[in-house]
Formats: sequence, structure tokens, C-alpha cells
Amino acid sequence: MRLTDNQVYFDHRQAREKICAYWLKQQAKTVAKPVRLTAIAGIANGCAVMVQAAIIAQILHAIIIDNRAWQDLGTPLLGLAAVFIARSLCVYCQQIWGFEAGAQVRLSLRRQLSDQFAALGPVVVKQQHSGELTAITLEQVDALENYFARYLPQQLIVGVLPLIMIVVVMPVNWVVGVIFLLTGPLIPVFMALAGMGAASASRNQFLAMTRMGGYFLDRLQGLATLKLFGQAWQELERINAIADNFRAKTMAVLRIAFISSAVLEFFSAVAVALVAVYVGLGLLGQISLGPAKSISFKEALFVLLLAPEFFMPLRQLAVYYHDKAAALGSADAILALLEQQVTEQSPVGQQADPTAQLIELKQVSKSYGARQVLYDIDLSISAREKIALTGPSGAGKTTLVNLLLGFEPASAGIILLNGRAIDRDSAATAIAWAGQDPYLFHGSIKDNIALAHAEADEQAIIDAAIAAGVTEFSGQLPDGLLTLIGERGYGLSGGQIQRIALARAFLKNADIILLDEPTANLDPANKTRLLDVIGRLFSDKTLIIASHDPEVIQRMDRRLVLHQGRLLP
Amino acid sequence: MNDLWFFLKLFKPQRANLAVGMLLSLLTALSSVALLTLSGWFISASALAGLNAEAWAFNFVLPAAQIRALAIARTASRYAERLVTHEATFHVLANIRGWFFQQLIPLVPGRLSSLRSGDVLSRMTADIDALDALYLRLLSPALVAALGVGAVTAFLYLYAPIISLNTGVMLALASVAVPWLFTVLGRGGAEETVVLAANFRIRHLDMLQGLADLLAYRAYPRFNALLDQCSRLMVDTQRRNNRLTAISSALTLLLSQSALLAALLMAALLYRDRLLSGAESVMLVFCVLAAFEFAMPLPQALQMLAKTGKAAQRIRQVAQMSPTITSPRQPSALPYGYGLQLDDVSFRYPNQPDWALRQVSLSIPQNSKLAIIGASGSGKTTLLHMLMRYYDADQGRILLAGHNLKQFDSDDLLTRYGVLSQRSELFAATIKDNLLIAKPKASAAELAAALSSAGLRTLINRLPDGIDTWVGESGLKVSGGEARRIALARLYLKNAPILILDEPTEGLDKETEREVLNTLAAFAQDKTLIIVTHREAGLDLADKVYRMERGVLIGTSL
Repeated sequence: MRLTDNQVYFDHRQAREKICAYWLKQQAKTVAKPVRLTAIAGIANGCAVMVQAAIIAQILHAIIIDNRAWQDLGTPLLGLAAVFIARSLCVYCQQIWGFEAGAQVRLSLRRQLSDQFAALGPVVVKQQHSGELTAITLEQVDALENYFARYLPQQLIVGVLPLIMIVVVMPVNWVVGVIFLLTGPLIPVFMALAGMGAASASRNQFLAMTRMGGYFLDRLQGLATLKLFGQAWQELERINAIADNFRAKTMAVLRIAFISSAVLEFFSAVAVALVAVYVGLGLLGQISLGPAKSISFKEALFVLLLAPEFFMPLRQLAVYYHDKAAALGSADAILALLEQQVTEQSPVGQQADPTAQLIELKQVSKSYGARQVLYDIDLSISAREKIALTGPSGAGKTTLVNLLLGFEPASAGIILLNGRAIDRDSAATAIAWAGQDPYLFHGSIKDNIALAHAEADEQAIIDAAIAAGVTEFSGQLPDGLLTLIGERGYGLSGGQIQRIALARAFLKNADIILLDEPTANLDPANKTRLLDVIGRLFSDKTLIIASHDPEVIQRMDRRLVLHQGRLLP
Repeated sequence: MNDLWFFLKLFKPQRANLAVGMLLSLLTALSSVALLTLSGWFISASALAGLNAEAWAFNFVLPAAQIRALAIARTASRYAERLVTHEATFHVLANIRGWFFQQLIPLVPGRLSSLRSGDVLSRMTADIDALDALYLRLLSPALVAALGVGAVTAFLYLYAPIISLNTGVMLALASVAVPWLFTVLGRGGAEETVVLAANFRIRHLDMLQGLADLLAYRAYPRFNALLDQCSRLMVDTQRRNNRLTAISSALTLLLSQSALLAALLMAALLYRDRLLSGAESVMLVFCVLAAFEFAMPLPQALQMLAKTGKAAQRIRQVAQMSPTITSPRQPSALPYGYGLQLDDVSFRYPNQPDWALRQVSLSIPQNSKLAIIGASGSGKTTLLHMLMRYYDADQGRILLAGHNLKQFDSDDLLTRYGVLSQRSELFAATIKDNLLIAKPKASAAELAAALSSAGLRTLINRLPDGIDTWVGESGLKVSGGEARRIALARLYLKNAPILILDEPTEGLDKETEREVLNTLAAFAQDKTLIIVTHREAGLDLADKVYRMERGVLIGTSL
């Protein structure tokens, strides 16, 4: 691979990461309140730590220097106990509020995703793997939680708490204050320097690393193919070699990245050591820098106790750092979904054309990128017509049906329904549709029939079931119409599923019935039975059936033939 | 737990490094405790010396130097620990990946035919990554905590056994007993969350797959409200569990702080009774305070235990599956002929009520050409898979040149078949490497011939790197037609006598379809050809056409 490729790819990834980070910030705005509360709880805890240090210093001073009996120390001891309880409460609140921040984002994102799926429509959603989409809605959204619950509040804490500590320490001993001031801000600087080193090291092999990371996935997915060519066992050696190479390259990057954690460790250790040596020598009277000579034991203890605490927020932030990395990864996946363009529906709200037929298509074309599927379709359909839409597979039948349903917009031309430009909502009102492969949801047969009207009355549902011939087979099932059916109508035959779909369409009682290949999966006897049912159920409706089955076509009054995207005269 | 133990054993080859890493980690934590303890002693001793005007006699050089040394030791050991532990962990993970791949080989394609579709795959890679926590965030912190608390209590014991005992017990309570108790309390909620998530997943899949029906019947808002309710229920359960965790963290802090309070009181009493010097009292209090550092990662490690355990379990579930077929101990050599014969073959997928194939009998003489048509789900692809012995028939038998397929080694058997399907598997590698999979020792001339026959010459000539162009993930994006052609070139290189074409032109435009089929027709002249299709174009290749309907094979004369 060439260096320029590597550079381009790396820059691309970085730009993407910036977009994701920005998006995460936008999401954070919606939960600013719980995030701030969480941070406040953390800062309160930090302040309590200072009080605790002061009390402990005071107690030890009283016992050792002033030789007071511990019975005299009731008040400070009680105070210490109170601080402990207050700190526990802070920890509790921090966790509770942090959860709320994460939960609110997760709930709202799930809703946004649901809306997006509906907006994209079935044609676009079908092209993506439903398992992966579900994993994004479930796992990837969950993976954002800790970013909002822990990382963001901690970032706020890091910005505030060390400053408070410096302000508190300064009047006590300005030399120690300066030590804090010098070592504290240096940490982010050095960490950034080390981080930059790591970035440039990783830039040099970034492409190689991602390729190797993907290698394993790639070979797993293609394992069946490898086996077919007898290469599976040879591949094992290569996988081992590459995994080892991957480890070596990863370590090269980590070696530099670990410098930042060493830097953090170094400064917090050095600060403790400097403070200890300074106040120790001051107490001994060995140095006279600043207020060293006049330092009291109490003050010395206080600043020494504070020294490790000063670095605590930063160390905690380092612990939470992988929350951020995980969130960026998930944000990428979620954003990729939310960013998908929703194709606009044709303009609505225009004046109705009273002279128009029930359905009219004027110069309708549809193309997907460079591939044109429908060319200049002109068509009008009047009420109660019985139409067969036919043509070889790939001629554009299903696309035309999708356009009629408003599942996707036409690329050119206009479709009128009752004289108005069609949209998904008006189509869903006027048209009852049963697809090639009707989907049955988890639930009872009855629930599935009553899809359009959840609150339809019992008798209407039973009537629809009888009319469509559902009761012929449901009678033999253990719970009749209340029998639960699983994913994709598991346990039912193709003909039975079709009949449930017909009952569904019948119950909807719409003006137009649109059926897509209703007989595709049926044997001849079942086919005839089903066509009889269709004829009987929808005799007073406008009926459009897309099919290339001669028996279906022969039963209809009018025949529309599509050939390579054009309507034959 | 068993699962974790199983994977721990895979860490064995790295045990020296892992032990060193743990020692370094212990050293880091101990030097940080020692730093604070020594500092506490140093300033109190200094203060007392200064007070009693003994400052001149106090040797401050040594403790001051020790303090500096500890600060440096802490930094150095932290860095070294990071390096050693990560190096060792990545070694182990690399081995586990290899091991996992090895476990999968016999399971594919029969048992795990849908590796791409399921989230099995992504889980398996993510779960292996999650195993790094087993050592880095579980075993190492736990052992370091145990050893560190042991060391600290031993140190405290030298000065004040009572403080040592109290600290040891309180720390154990705070960082092990409390989190463990609350984990047990939260188990019901955790399990409930898993069930609710599974429920949400089913409904969500339902929603996506039935989206067209939902929109057409205006049932989407109702369904979506249901989904939202599921999502809120899930969060509510998590909220209850989070409350438990929050209480647990608060209690942990409270208990460890009480240990400090108790140490403070005891130190005061011991000082009063002259059992401890002033400097020693302060030192012990500082030591107890610093010892919390050991316990800090423990509650998180306990949380990791459950998570990592689940990851390990999921990996092992796959690895422990049994293959759908077993190769004979002493396989027969493959016969020279390659006529195929199915006698009354019936087959049902495991745990499915319906037969996928019903008493299928079919004779496929050497070099014959036949096509099978039928609706999706009618059993066409299953029939192809039976011929390649991805599964064994439940009834009936399949013969290759008169011998039952079961007599042959399954890998050997596959050398007889060349397969082209609607999904051509391109690997993330160069085009050349993608071709070499079919014939690792192919010469340059052979590769060139295969590329020309597959109609790839023009594409290759256009590319600056030619045959060495990287394709697949993060490489050159090739079109569906180009990918199919690369698969065709592979077919040439393999040159197997039986060609199996499963919807070979699905997703191709008319022109490409015709070209691919023409190429295939020329190539298949001296071979057996079995094509499954629902497009009319492919039927020209066949002399005989069969139709599949719900597992039954019917001869037809189109």
C-alpha cells in the first residue's frame, strides 16, 4: 500500500471522527441538566474531600502536637463522620443522575431511529440487514450510555475541581499552590504531546492496522468459500501470522500511547514527593522558600493529604477515556443511519382535479441512479376495474406497485389518487395491499388480521376470517384464530399466509385492492381456491393484481403489460 | 464461571509475562502507597523534631531521597506494567483468534451457513476482544488487590495489629462483600433486562421486516408506541439496577471511610498509651488512607466478571457446536468418474417440522446439464448443498460414481465441485491473491488465461496496479458484475468437473448476464452443470429442466 493512500484514508477517518464528536456534543445539549447535576455531585464530593483532609489534619495535629485526649475531639470526629456520609450521598447522586443523562439520550435516540425507519420507507430499509439495524438501535445506542453518564460529567469536573483546590491551597501555602499550578496544567500538555506522538506513529500504519483488523472478519465471512477451495487450513496459518503481526504493530503504537499514562503517574507522584519534601524540610527549618519557616504541622498534613486528591479527577477521566472511544464508534454507526437521505414525497396540498379518474399516472418514470426501471408510464384506472398487471420478472411491476403505495416517489411525472398527488398517507387510506410475501407479526392470527384496525369488533374480524377462508385451517389449530404465530408465519403454508393477508385487506374495507403476486408460492389446487376467494371478496372494489400467472390474468377484465419498464399498448 | 476458567487456560503460554506484569502492577500500587505513607511519616517526624529542637540530629537526606525514588519507581513500573501486560494479552488474544477460527472450520457451512447474516459473527469478534478484560481488568486487579491489601495489613501489623485487622476486614467488606451482595441482589433485574432486550429485538425485527405492511395498514404509529414502551420498560429496569449499584458504591465508600475513622481513633488511643510514636500514628493513618487505592478497581472488576463471563460463554457456545457431518476415519479415494445419483433422498433441517426435501430421486450423468427452478424456499439450494454434502440425508442416499458420499473425506469431495453463486465472496486482498485461493500454485500464464476467459482483461488493464490491486474492504470497490467475473476466473482456475451455479446471474443487468452465461456455456462443455435459477436466460444452458415445489422434485418440459 502506498503512503499517500494511507494518508488519505487516515485523514478521511479523522474528518469522520470530528463529525461524530460534534454530533455527540449536539446530543449532550439535550441532557445538559442531568450531566451538570452529575458533575456538581462529583465536584461536591471533591470539596468534601478537602474538608475531610482539613479535619483529619486538625485531629492529628491536636493529638500529636497539642497532646489532646481523643475525648476532647468529639466535634471534629463527628464532623468527619458527617463528611463521610455526605461523600457517600454525593457518590450515590452522581451515579443516579449520570444514569438519567444516559437514559434520556438513549430513549430519544431510539425514537429518532424509529422515525427515520418510517421516513426512509420499506424499499430503502429492505436493502439493509434488519439484524444489523436492530443491533444499532439496541446495542450501539446502549453503548453511548457511559459517555453521557460518566465521561462528560467527569470532563466538567476536571475543568473545575483542580481550580477550586488551588484556590483553597494558595492562602494556606502558596508554594504548594504553585507546585499544583505547575504540575496540574502540565499534565494535559504532556498528554497531548504524547498523544500527538501516538497519532503520528499510528498514521504511518493506520491503513495496515485497519486492514489487519478487518482481515479476521473477512476470512470468517468467507470461510465457506475458503473451504470450497480447500484453503481453510492453510488460512489458519496465515491468520496466526497476521494476528501476530497485528499485535506487534498495535504494540508499537501503544508503546507511545502509554507514555501519557506514565506522564500522569509521574506528575502525581512528583507532586506528592515535592510537597512532602518541601513541607518536611520546612518543618525542620532546613529551607526558607516562601512560608516554609512558619508552616504548621496541621497545614503540612492538609496539603500533603490534598496532593494525591488534586490528580484524582484527571486519573478518573483517563479511566473513562475508553467510554469516549466506544461512543465515537457507536456514533458513527448511528449517524450513518440518521444521515441517510429521505427522498421527498411529491408536493402535496395542491387543488384536487375533479375530472381525474380514480388513479392517474402521467409520464411517470423511476430510476435508481443510472438504472432506469420505469419509462414514461401513462395510465388511468377507474373505479371497480379489475386489472392484471403483468410482464416478465424485472419488468418493473413491483416498482410500479411501490410507487402506487407511496413507498417511494417517482423520479419524474405525477401520480394522482382521487385527483390529488399521491403520498404515503393518502395511499394507505385508499388502498388495501397484500405483498408478494405478506409479513405476519408475532401475535395471534386475529391480531394479524386486525392490523389496520386494532379495535375492530370481534364479529367483523371473524367475518373477514371466514370470507377469506382463514377459518378453514384455523379451525384445526389448537387455539383457532387466537393461535400464536411466530416470525414470518412459521408453521403456516404459503397459501395460508396469503389468506390471512387477504382477510387483512378485506377487513380494511378500502376502495382499492392491490395484490402483488398472490399465487407465487401456491400449488394449482390452492391457487384456484385462492382466486375464487379473491373474486368473491373484492367484486365491488377496484382490484389490481400484479402477476404473470396466466390463470390470474385470464380472470381479470383488463390487462396491463409491462416490458422492460414500458407499458405496452 | 467454567467458561472463564476455560479461557484462562489459554493464557497459560504467557504466564511468565503475565506474572511479571502483575508484579509490576503490584509494585506501582505499593510504591504509591509507600510514597504517601513515607511522606506522612516524614513530615510528622520532621514536625516533632523541629518542635523539640532536635532538627540538627534528624537525618532528612535519606527519607527525602527515598520519597523521590518511590516517585520515580511508581512512574517507571507503571509504564513497564502497561507494556508487559498488553503485550502478553495481545499474544493471548491472537492465539484465541486462531483457536476460534480452527473451531469454526468443521462447522462451516453446514452448521453455520449464515455466518454473515446473523450477528453471531460481529459478536464473536467483539466477544474475543472483550476477553482482554479477563486478565487486564479482572484477574490482575483482583490478585493485585489481594496481594496489596495483604502487604499493607502485614505492614500495619508490625506496628498495630488491631489497626491491621480492622483495615483488612473493612476493606474486604467494602470492596468485595458489598459489591458481591449487590450483584446478587441485582441478578433478577439483570436477567430481566436480558429478557426485555430480547423482546425488544424480536419486536424491532418484526417492525423492520414488516415495515411495508405496517405503513400500508397505517399500523406503524401503534406498533412504534409499543416499541417505545418496550424501550422505556428496559430503561426502567436498568434504572432500578443502577440504583442498587449506586447504593453499593455509596456503601463501599462509607465502609472504607469508616475504616479510616476507626484507624484514626485507634491510632489516637495507641499514641495515648505510648504504644505508638506520634510519627508512627500519622504514618499508619496515611497508610490506611492510601490502601484504598488497591480496593478501588475491585467493584468494577466484579461488574466485569459477569460481562466477560457472558462473552466467554457466547464464544464457547459456537466453538462447542458439533459439525453436521463427520468424515470417515479411513476415507476412500475419490473415483475418477463424477456421475451423481440421488436415491429417495429426504432431508429435514434440525429442529424444523417440515421436510426440506421429500423423496428426491435424480440421476445426473457425467457431463449432463440440468436446471432446477422453483419458488424461493422450495428446496433448490438445499438440494445443491446435499450434493456437496453440507448435510447428510435423513433418508435415502447420494452416490458419486456409484459410491456413497459418506465414504469420502468431505474436504476431498469438495475438490470435485466448482461453485458460482449470487454472492461472490471477495476477500480483502489483491485480485491476484483472490484468484490464487482457487489454485495456490497457478502460474502467471494460467492467471492471465483465467482473467481473459472471465472477461476481466479490460478492467485489469485500466487499473494502475493491475492484478495487484487491493479489493474488498477498504480497497477498490468492484461492481457486482466485476465481482462475479472474479468468481468466474476462480472457477476456471479450479477447473472442477462438476459446476454448481446457484442463481449465478442474480443482480446483474441483462448485458452482463448474457456475457456471463455465454462464458459459462463454453466452459461447461466437458463438465457436469447444475444450475438453479428463476431467470429464463439461464435455462438455455440446460438440456433438462426440473421444478422444485415444497421439497418435491418434478420433471418438466419447458
